[in-house]
Amino acid sequence: MINKYTYILLLTSVLLSSFTSGQNQNSTSDFELLTTKTQFEAGSHIVLKFTDSDAEKPLLYCSNSFGSTVVVPSMENNKLHYKIPASIASKKGMVNWKLLNNEASISGQLKIVSKQEVATMETYIGPPSIEAGGTDYTMLVVIPTDSLDNPLAENTLVNAKHQFLSNQKNEDIFTKNLIAFKNIYSQLESGRMLVSSESLNTNSKEFTINVTAAIPTDFTISAKRPHDYADGNQITTFTTSIIKDKLENVVSDGTFVNFFITNKKGNILRTSGTTISGVATARMIHPDYEEDWSVKAYVDGMAESNVLSLTYKQVIDDFEVRFSQNNRDVTVGPLQSFMNQMIPDGLQVKLTISKDNLQLETYSKTSYNGYVQFILKSDIFINDSYKISIKTAGLEKTFENTKLW
Amino acid sequence: MKESSNKYLITALLLGLAFHGTSIFFTLETTYDALIHLFFADHYSNSWFEPWNYKWYTGFTVMSYPPLVHQSIALLSLIGGLKFGLFAVALISIVLFITGVYRFSLLITSNRTVAGYAAVLAVFSSSFLETLHIFGQLPSIIGISVLMHALPEIYLWLKTGKYWYLATSLSLIAVTVTSHHVTPIFGMVFFIFPLIGMVIMDVSREQVNSMKEVTFRVFLNSFFKLFKRIISFGMLSLVIIIGCILPYWINSKNNPITQVPIPHGSRDNFLEITSSGLVFFLIPWGVLLILLPYIFYRYYSKRYIFFGLSITILTVLGTGGTTPIPRMVLGETAFNILTLDRFTLWASVMSLPILGEFAFRLVHGDLKVLIQNKFGAVYHRIIGGILAALFVFMTIFTMSLSYFRPSQPQKIKMVPIVNFLNQDDHDKWRFLTLGFGDQMAWLSAQTNALTVDGNYHSARRLPELTTRPIERLENSKFKGVAGIGSLQQFLTTPEKYNLKYIFSNDKFYDPILYFCGWQRLRQLENGIMVWERLNVPPLSSILPKDDVAKWLKVLWGTIPFLTILIAFILNVQMLLVNALKTRIKKAPVYFNFKNDYSKFSRGLLRTTHFWSILVAGIMVYGIYLFYIKNDSHRSPENAIMAYYDALDFKQFEKAHKLINPESKISIAQYMLEISVTDGLLSSYAKLDAIYTDITNHSDSTASAKVITNWITPLEKIEKTEFKRAVKQNGKWYLEPDELKNDLPPDQLYADNSTSYFNQGRRRITTEQTHHEDVLKQPVLEVLSSKLVKYNNHYAIIGEIQNIDNVPADVVLKGTLYNDANKLLATYNAKYHVKHKLMPKETSSFKINFEGVAWSKTEDSIPKTFNPDEFTPVEFEEQPTKFNLQVDGNVSGSDLYKNIVVSDIDIKNESINGNLFNSGLEEITIPQLLVTYYNEDKTMLWVDHLFIKEGVRQQRKQDFEYEILKNGELNIINSDMKNIFVNGLPNEDISNKIVPNRIENHTNSELQKINHPDFGFIKFETNTYIGNPN
Repeated sequence: MINKYTYILLLTSVLLSSFTSGQNQNSTSDFELLTTKTQFEAGSHIVLKFTDSDAEKPLLYCSNSFGSTVVVPSMENNKLHYKIPASIASKKGMVNWKLLNNEASISGQLKIVSKQEVATMETYIGPPSIEAGGTDYTMLVVIPTDSLDNPLAENTLVNAKHQFLSNQKNEDIFTKNLIAFKNIYSQLESGRMLVSSESLNTNSKEFTINVTAAIPTDFTISAKRPHDYADGNQITTFTTSIIKDKLENVVSDGTFVNFFITNKKGNILRTSGTTISGVATARMIHPDYEEDWSVKAYVDGMAESNVLSLTYKQVIDDFEVRFSQNNRDVTVGPLQSFMNQMIPDGLQVKLTISKDNLQLETYSKTSYNGYVQFILKSDIFINDSYKISIKTAGLEKTFENTKLW
Repeated sequence: MKESSNKYLITALLLGLAFHGTSIFFTLETTYDALIHLFFADHYSNSWFEPWNYKWYTGFTVMSYPPLVHQSIALLSLIGGLKFGLFAVALISIVLFITGVYRFSLLITSNRTVAGYAAVLAVFSSSFLETLHIFGQLPSIIGISVLMHALPEIYLWLKTGKYWYLATSLSLIAVTVTSHHVTPIFGMVFFIFPLIGMVIMDVSREQVNSMKEVTFRVFLNSFFKLFKRIISFGMLSLVIIIGCILPYWINSKNNPITQVPIPHGSRDNFLEITSSGLVFFLIPWGVLLILLPYIFYRYYSKRYIFFGLSITILTVLGTGGTTPIPRMVLGETAFNILTLDRFTLWASVMSLPILGEFAFRLVHGDLKVLIQNKFGAVYHRIIGGILAALFVFMTIFTMSLSYFRPSQPQKIKMVPIVNFLNQDDHDKWRFLTLGFGDQMAWLSAQTNALTVDGNYHSARRLPELTTRPIERLENSKFKGVAGIGSLQQFLTTPEKYNLKYIFSNDKFYDPILYFCGWQRLRQLENGIMVWERLNVPPLSSILPKDDVAKWLKVLWGTIPFLTILIAFILNVQMLLVNALKTRIKKAPVYFNFKNDYSKFSRGLLRTTHFWSILVAGIMVYGIYLFYIKNDSHRSPENAIMAYYDALDFKQFEKAHKLINPESKISIAQYMLEISVTDGLLSSYAKLDAIYTDITNHSDSTASAKVITNWITPLEKIEKTEFKRAVKQNGKWYLEPDELKNDLPPDQLYADNSTSYFNQGRRRITTEQTHHEDVLKQPVLEVLSSKLVKYNNHYAIIGEIQNIDNVPADVVLKGTLYNDANKLLATYNAKYHVKHKLMPKETSSFKINFEGVAWSKTEDSIPKTFNPDEFTPVEFEEQPTKFNLQVDGNVSGSDLYKNIVVSDIDIKNESINGNLFNSGLEEITIPQLLVTYYNEDKTMLWVDHLFIKEGVRQQRKQDFEYEILKNGELNIINSDMKNIFVNGLPNEDISNKIVPNRIENHTNSELQKINHPDFGFIKFETNTYIGNPN
């Protein structure tokens, strides 16, 4: 609607001007700006005053980067007073104004500057954790703003402060393009860095940056075990030395360490641990037969340990097998450990039954009180002779042509 | 003639309201459908004129179901809330049904007493009970009730030609249409056509002296006489059927149902699946089954002949898949879309007048006289007693069915869930419920949050859903492999649907959630476990919708209530006159055609006797078969079946009773043994099928090879076991299994570990993201990655490491392109990655491209889905490039790493080994990730194995892994250029954090194997902890 009227106005003014072009030559300055000041502080009371010759009251159009509005004048002492609304007057930046009278209008610019006081320190910092070593950094961005949320003038002094271990540093930076920023580099140590800033006696709150250890370096491992027998029950604990990065910072808790164990047969067993205060612990159950282990730990792609060799001695030298109940009841045991004590429950015993070199069935059971009992059911194994072999603790006993009936 | 109120009708109404009005409060909310209608009502109460609903699926239109019932509930909900509306409408439907049956019976029998009997019997008729109290199909009930009200009006219009009756009948048809769409369409065929036939018969009868003289010629003459009325009625009702729910028809045309049919019990063969037979045949028919000869005899009399044909067709169609006829008659499509139980419902409703008539004749009519004369008064009383007892038994049985076999999970308190969704902007994401049953509709009605699932399957739109025969994701475990298959696609790529929260009421789904990368958030106070997935973007504030024209919206919002209003205005006078007897009204014209109840046919009585005996015989035989099959000690097969059944349903006491008492295992010991076995098979498996093969059978012992198929959330498991059964005192028992005796060396263990806690918001604020509280995304590095093709099956494989100092949740998203850079498929890593990585931990990964990943979905989805089996995708464009997006998020949960490969034995085809749990949590499901390398230690493939048994603390568990058979393996592309971590190029990150990486660091620790295609393998372990301490 406004547009329509504007166009009609424009058109009529063009028409009129063609008739009255001679007369209007000297009446272009019907209005004259009386206010001379063009720079104001944000939030101040801004009034544009104009002389008015023919009691006309045109609107004043004004706009800044946030938006535009028109202002209705008031008449005081035969002068037009245009009060710039607070929504525009409180925002830093340029304000363009234009008088919307019929004839050639006059226009101008105002500059609004921020107050030279800091109300809030708008601060951003990130990333919140960086790596020790002096190459990684975090960026502090500070925007000192006045009470009307305007960023302060260019080259306002900001004091960036940070504390790390025993150091405490202050550094002067200046705002440029509304912001002040600083890259804070890590130092050689890991730890916690506290950052704050100050401008025109206003201080920001405290920010925290975690400086974490860099990637780990090589370390050593050791093993602890209650005895060196292969009883398949006790547990060996592997421990690393304190894992540190190249600058002697202890790696962060939870760092994952892989332990690979190569056994006598060349097979790879695997356990793992995560560090606490740089020490990773991993556990492994003892083998149940004679073994030579070589153990090496890795932090994948970054660090590794020495190779640790461990030997486990055989605990069971021999075991008895008794057949009863038409040879269908096979009892293995007593299974005795290194002091002739009964082996702890859970030792695996495997019985394989085959006929004419054809493996029929394998049963796996665990020992109970030093014995394991297998029952060969008559409805699975018909009366015949079979080859029965029993394997436990790395030992094997074979009974050829065992007759079941 | 002074007319008195019909006491039977009043009794029926009072009984019906008292009986149903009380019991609906205990039954209606646990029915299948009631809560769905409630959800729709909630929609109307919030936006009456806007048909688009965002809450279910990814948006659907409520124009896919006639709105009257929903709108009525919505309107009433303004007075006392949604449930008030539901119960109020249910009460109205009860009144409508009873009065409807009365008017229909009056029309058929022209006898007030008989109609009164029918009304009383209708109150307790088992099909009505089932439809209301078990199925909760309110629109269906209201539809059929109003249709019955319309029938006398239609008769009167056709017979008298008074336009008033045309108006009343059409107004009632309109109400029927707006409450249920299927009822008037089939009602036209099965109720109104026979009624027209009856009118013509009556008109013909008037032209001659007796029924016998009504010949085809007379009939045809009358037909032509009435032709105008019939056609005008037919055309107008067609206009009404189409016009009143026009938006519905337009919507059906625009969005035709093109989905895979969802199995429904009413299409089963009732003899094979007896539970369906019970629910969809025996219960709705109930006592009517005994009276079938009478019903058919009566309806096949000349006047009712068309009703006879109609009820025959209805009866046959109601038999579902038992006979091939319904499939032939309806055609394959209609057969698979329609639920056939409604035919049985209509048949039983149609039988009610005849049931009333039979009761009348038995209680004080000619049948009583006949029986008393022939068999004596005692026999008459006994027969009456038996029939009454059967009738009451069916009523009690139907009402209590859901008590003994609950169709729904226990009632869930929704308030904690609603609160959770309202908190902290949780409703900015979609959610999913698991194991809620139809209560999910009630949850949806209460919250503003959206779900990917829904409970009205005709309205589904996502191809992931419409291409699979499942109703809801929510109960996918009951749909076997297809259900789990559909579910896991949503779980693997949740960001596609903005799905972030899952409310699980069924721990069955826990493993699949964990292995798809979800983590437990917390348990709500109602016991529901909340799972969340990291790295899912919130819903955008503007969601797409299929908009419809404004006039359709206005029609949809106004017409239903207009039909009620018009019907009310037109019928209220008659209603008041009938109810209050303010003036003497002429009896309607159909009263001229009274039946003669003076001579009951002897032959019919005999037939009924024979039929009853036959039915009784079949019942007894059925019960006998049931007993033989279910007597668990009767044979070794029964004992085995019963044992596995008991285990499946966790009825351990019952299972214990099947264990040989000679073995002297007490129930306490047995329970102890059960309680220490955990794992995929014992805690998360559902028995799917069982085959027993008795290998050796003697009088007192038997050995059986038992092959069981289990459905677990992760994979299908086939297990073969050998069981031994023994006979003790004439009963068969099973021998118990042996236990593992592994005994850890210590009683008490101490362990240290690092644990993590993320505060979330440190400051209590509703600010979207308080920037200080946002954790940095952990930095990950992709160590290697390549696109490979193995047996026609494309995958992206590789290795990833968390190179940060905090634990990370890892999301890997792979995209395939062809040479022309055309996007072919996108999918996420599912099982083949450790989703949670400790600092510096590595994991191999593989991204499979499954059905919905491919841009042309329809072509590529396999018919049957096996979570573990892969269907190669056939397509013309070959993927040649890939893009990998990796995202890390800090996560403090599921970081248990204390699992050790403690022994290994390599054979040519398989690897046997032991896992040892070195920590303090019980591992419920251990997973092995197996990476294959060639002779040059180049990574080729990643495979996995879920170990069926759990590993208890400080104990061992053996496993057997079968090495992959030879297969064609091509590396298509190993260019690592397009790999991004948290949106940044992988290479830059790598250069910055780990500039001096030791390449292929652990290659020296790869396991050598003997295999023609592979040189080395590597084992990695992952664990699911079911019950974290």
